[in-house]
This record gives sequence, C-alpha cells and structure tokens, in this order.
Amino acid sequence: MTDENANLSIDFLVGFTIFILAFIWVVSIIPGLLIGLQSHTIDYDAVAYRTGVILAEDPGYPVYIDRSNLSWEEKLKVDKRDVDRLGVAISRDSPNILSQDKVNGFFHTCTTYNTSAFTYSLGDYQKRVIFSDYPYRFNISLRDIERNEIRSVGDVIPLNSSYGYIRRLVKIKEPSIATINASGYKNADNVSTHRFSILLNTTKLVLGEVKDPAYQINPIKEQIMINITNLNKTINQPSVNITLSSIAVKRVGDTNSYPFDELYIDDNSAPQLLLPLEVTNKVSLKFKPTFFDGIMSDAEGSQIYLTLTFNLKDPGGNPTNSTFFNNTPGTPFNYNSPNNFDYNYNPNYVTQPQLRPALLEVAVW
Amino acid sequence: MVSGDGGQLYTIEGVAAGLIMIMTAYLVVNATSVYTAGDTHINDMQLEVLGSDALKMMGTPANTTMNSIDNSTLRTIIESNDGNKFNATFFPLINNRTLQEPDRFIQYTASYTYRYGVDSVNSTFITSSRNLTGGEHTVRATKWVVVNKQLPGDSMERDRAVLVEVLMWRD
Repeated sequence: MTDENANLSIDFLVGFTIFILAFIWVVSIIPGLLIGLQSHTIDYDAVAYRTGVILAEDPGYPVYIDRSNLSWEEKLKVDKRDVDRLGVAISRDSPNILSQDKVNGFFHTCTTYNTSAFTYSLGDYQKRVIFSDYPYRFNISLRDIERNEIRSVGDVIPLNSSYGYIRRLVKIKEPSIATINASGYKNADNVSTHRFSILLNTTKLVLGEVKDPAYQINPIKEQIMINITNLNKTINQPSVNITLSSIAVKRVGDTNSYPFDELYIDDNSAPQLLLPLEVTNKVSLKFKPTFFDGIMSDAEGSQIYLTLTFNLKDPGGNPTNSTFFNNTPGTPFNYNSPNNFDYNYNPNYVTQPQLRPALLEVAVW
Repeated sequence: MVSGDGGQLYTIEGVAAGLIMIMTAYLVVNATSVYTAGDTHINDMQLEVLGSDALKMMGTPANTTMNSIDNSTLRTIIESNDGNKFNATFFPLINNRTLQEPDRFIQYTASYTYRYGVDSVNSTFITSSRNLTGGEHTVRATKWVVVNKQLPGDSMERDRAVLVEVLMWRD
C-alpha cells in the first residue's frame, strides 16, 4: 500500500467497540440505580391507589375485640399511639361498605359520646394511612351523594401540577334506629306510674338470619338509637306533667341494673346524666358499641331489657292518674311478655341499616 | 486502495462521533423518565377500579330485610330492560368528583351476556353514553348478576346468572 493514513487499525476498532458497549451498559443501568432515590416523584398514582384500598377495603387497626381492645375509632386521646392504620370499611369481608362511626372518626367529626376522641394531624395521616418515609402531601375527600355533604382532610389539591389520584365508589352504612310512636302504645290503665320495656336480643341480632355485616344490626360494633316520640299525645288528662323517673338496663339472668349510656330529652342536644327529668314529648336513647359489650354474656343469651318508668304529676307535683305510653302493665316485670318492644329486623318497627352511596377520592403529590 | 483517500479517516471519525452523540442524547433523554411496570397501565387501572366499583355499588341493595330478595338497582335494570335508568345511575357514578368538576368525561357502553340453549352465548345491549368508533382505548369491567327473567331459550321466568359488561374510555 502506498498510503495508509486513512485506514483504522483493527486494535482501534475492537477497543472502540468494547468502550461503546461498556458505555451503553453503564448508562442504561444508571436510571435503575436512581429509582430508589427518586421514587416519590414517580409513584404518586401507586400511593394514591394503595391509600384508596386501605380506606375503602380495610377496617383499620386495631379492630374491636372486646371492651379492653377497642377499635381505632373508639380509642381515646391517651391511646392515640395504639392506632396503626386508619381504614374505614366495616370489615374486611365487606369491601367498599364504610362504617359511619369510622368515617366520623377519620374526618374529625366524632359524635358527642366520644368527645374525648383524638383528632389527627397531617403527620398522623401520613403515618397511618399514606404510609411512606417520604412526606407526601395529600387530600382525602368523601362526598356523601344522598346528603350532598363533602368532607375532606389534607392540603388543597394543586391546580397547576400533576398529582396521583384514585377514586373509589363506596356506600356508608347508616346504623339502625327504632322510632317508637308512643301513640301506638297507649295504655288504657288510668294510673300514675307507667312502664315501657324494650328488648335487645343481641344474640339473635348478631347470630340470627342476617349474616351480611353490611345489613346486620350489631350492637357491639355500631351504635343503637331509640327515639320515643309523641309522648304527650297519649295523655287524656289536661295539665299533666310527664316525668321520666328511671331507666333500668338489665340482662336476663343478671340481677344487676346498669346505668344507661346517653339520654336526650325533647330537642335538647346535650346528653342528660341524672334522673328524674320532666319530658314534654320526646325521649332519645343512644348506646355506643362498648356499652353492650360491658354487660353482655353469651352464655346466658345476652337478652337485654331497657325499662323506662314514667310518673305523671299534676302542676302541683302530686301524682295523678291518666292513660299513657305503657307496654308493661303490672309488676313484677315479665321478660317474656310479647308486649315488650323487640328491637329486631322487622322494618315496621325498626328502621333497618341503610347503605348510602358516596364517593371517596385520594390525591397524592 | 484508491488514491486521494486523505479525508477518509476524518469522515469515519465524524460518523463515529455523530453516532456517539446521538446515542448519548438518546440515553440521556431516556434516563430522565423512568417508567415502572405500574405506570404503564395506571390509567387503565383507574378506569378498571372505577368501573368495577360502580357495578358493585349498583349491585348492592341499599337495605335488606329477612327473607327479602336482592333488590339491587342492577338487577332491577336488567329485569326491566331499563337502559335509561342504567345511564342515569352509571354515568354520574363514574364521572362525579368530590371537590372538582370532571375535566374529561368517561364514556361507556354496557351490555350483558348469558348462555342459552346447549352451548350458545348471547349478548344484549343495555345502553351507551356514546357509540364506539373503534379507536377508543377501552377498559372492561364486569359483574355477575342473578336475575329473574325469561331470556331467549327459556320456557319461563327463572333465576339466571348474566354477566354485565361495561366498556369504558376517556373522552
């Protein structure tokens, strides 16, 4: 050859090829090495999805076991550290069915009986429902479609930047309520003391024919509410004052009488603690889940009776006779009387648990 | 070897350098966006979860009493062939938001499928919010529903399992 200046040597070609291959290999593994460092920027959707699943399909932890092992929404301020996870489903067996009490607890709107329940900071939500070392910002909102009510926690969703997002369609279980129209239980006996008894057969309610937790009346897991209305329409004498003298809470086979849980008179929103009290028209009784657990005994059937005793008085405070609201005539009290009001699955007497449609959204950024 | 090849080396070096630059640019651009396995299907997954939830909620009665039959909205709609009710229920469910107005509507087409005769399968259209043109990237959600209905091939009304199928896509 006369001029070899333009030729590449084999050595150069081999070396250059090895270098290029090594370079490509190194560059292509760099992104993989960095995934762990920058994962918070790429998995917003995954975190939102996980959070949505925890909220809609998990009851949270701890769940109710007994009186000394309460569910997370029943915990008091001092027990905040015991709460590990904030799911709001009624149980793992009923995904997408939310508990009203858990929802209230989650969105800081605990009912009056649990005023000492703790509230959460954003950090608490990050630790107990978002679950990440990286401090994600978030917004969790729930729209109650029937009530047109929106509740949310977290930061305002950014309008001009991307965020991870998931939407779940759920139903909120509204607990049962017995609304007793006193006019339907007017007793013709013209006496000054009247008694009305209500039976709560917890064994029959929980282990009876309704097994689905979504529709079950379960006094151990959700509140029981009893409203007695139209009391003044049962009196046939003018100027008679109604006094609620006592509320006896008893279990069959147990001689003890337990104190009632929460009592509301007429439209007064403050719970009453001491009896006797004058009543105009309405008595409401509310029992939180832990109440029944404290007095129940499975071995003896757990039939619980609530007996309300009313006294009628004239304006001077003297006992006076009249017809009144009464289904327990005479003494001693008869547990087996068919006249006792049975809190059961008959929709004619008890408003059954209802499922209200709702929309749950989780945004993470 | 030809004469006048003095520029050959420079040409090859130039081509090699160009290739390296293009390759480097490609790798750099690629490295800035990392796709995890979940990311590639995340939009589909959201639609799938939403459709599955919507059918599930439509198939869940608001209340029940002892010995009552399943009176869910979905069952009622199929038994009465009420496409309007399906649309009035399903469309808001998949498009409503809590704090914002929907930016892109989700469209759908719904049908149910059942077996009849010995080995035949028939599909019945329920309703749709928009006709499929074929270019949509649809996601499928299904739910089995037991209905009491006389379907083709049945001699009388009886409990039948039908598969409700919804194809959904974003506008």
